[in-house]
Amino acid sequence: MRIIVTTIAVMFATAGSVFAHAHLDHAAPKVGSTVAQSPKEVVLWFTEKLEPAFSSIDVRNEQGAAVNSGKATLIGDRTQLRVPLKTLPPGTYKVIWRVLSVDTHRTQGDFTFRVGQ
Amino acid sequence: MFRSLWPLAMLAAVLAAATTLSTTLARAHEIVGNRFFPATLAIDDPGVNDEVALPTVSISKTGDVPSFKQLDVSGEFAKRITEDFGVSFAPTWSRLYAPGGSNLTGARGFQNLETTLKYRLFKSPEHEFVLSAGLEIEWGGSGAQNVGAERFTVYTPTIYFGKGFGDLPTSMNWARPFAITGQVGYAIPGVSKITSATFDPDTGEAAIDTEFNPRVLNWGATLQYSMPYLKSAVADLGLPDFVNRLIPIVEASFQTPVSNTATSGTVTTGTINPGIIYAGNTYQVAIEAMIPVNRQSGTSVGVIAQLHFFLDDIFPNTLGRPIFANNISTGRPAFGR
Repeated sequence: MRIIVTTIAVMFATAGSVFAHAHLDHAAPKVGSTVAQSPKEVVLWFTEKLEPAFSSIDVRNEQGAAVNSGKATLIGDRTQLRVPLKTLPPGTYKVIWRVLSVDTHRTQGDFTFRVGQ
Repeated sequence: MFRSLWPLAMLAAVLAAATTLSTTLARAHEIVGNRFFPATLAIDDPGVNDEVALPTVSISKTGDVPSFKQLDVSGEFAKRITEDFGVSFAPTWSRLYAPGGSNLTGARGFQNLETTLKYRLFKSPEHEFVLSAGLEIEWGGSGAQNVGAERFTVYTPTIYFGKGFGDLPTSMNWARPFAITGQVGYAIPGVSKITSATFDPDTGEAAIDTEFNPRVLNWGATLQYSMPYLKSAVADLGLPDFVNRLIPIVEASFQTPVSNTATSGTVTTGTINPGIIYAGNTYQVAIEAMIPVNRQSGTSVGVIAQLHFFLDDIFPNTLGRPIFANNISTGRPAFGR
């Protein structure tokens, strides 16, 4: 048992700054939510800092057409990714994100939100 | 003298039979598109990664007659050679407690060392599907015979798969956090039979015993519901962070002797393990009950627990990288790899 405890302690003592895969923590609009008015932007909060050159957000309508009005940019402490939107009519929209964390782990994902009732 | 050795010989025989039919404790994790496949305990998952499972502890009662209480403490170190190819090493220490009232004294020692070579054949982020193939090797003679470690090597070519249901239509949103994983392996002993001379203390006669080492189908699956997936890809319900990191899971692991079964029989043994996994950013903790499917699989419900570290997240630039890694220097990366 002492060997196990010692091994674990040495692992973390030598790990330095611990990074990990960047997972989506939460979003605005919220994942799976319905909003009454067209949002002006989509903001994603990740669990790790991101590399801007390799991190993107695409927002698409039900026909698959892009509805973001610009490219994604990092804000805050580099864990938030923001993309501006065109004015969205009622419907379902898909947010597709691809990011690279500062420790070079690549992750991707998607979710939907609705505008209108 | 022979009479005094008879109980030990019987103990060695039942432990050998139990070990031949036992399965491995395991192992990897994997990220495929939206999907995080956690490391599972009863079967191996399709992931190829850098990680350490330390420790995995299980307590159960064997299906032998008489039944022994068995404590296993195991570890595993898995290392990627390339992005899609890895190797792992898994030692297990066992302690067997003799049934009360017997002159059997139990045993302790290491099981045979297990090595697994695994290659990721296919990965589809869009469909959250991954397929891998591997060769598991249990090195004969590397463990202690008194806990049932065989003198011969066993080779088990195995197929692993994982499938998340995130590609279901949004009308079935409730089912999208579900995922399944599975494995099918065929264990081939390096020695087909063992012949030994025995002495029957009751009749005083010597006899020649032949034990056939069966080829065994190792098969199993998991069904898991990912709360992290629910929150990040389906619906953020505003649940507490602790709940959003849980993955309820049911694992099933079976062993079916399929050939060379003259002395082993063909009864399928195994356990069904309901449990739960807590997934942190750099580690996971899991605990499961082990419910034997029949008398030959065990005589009571056991417990297995594991602490598991993701080395690719803890040491991303050193120990947690493939030895031959693709460098990201220019251009857009191939996401989902």
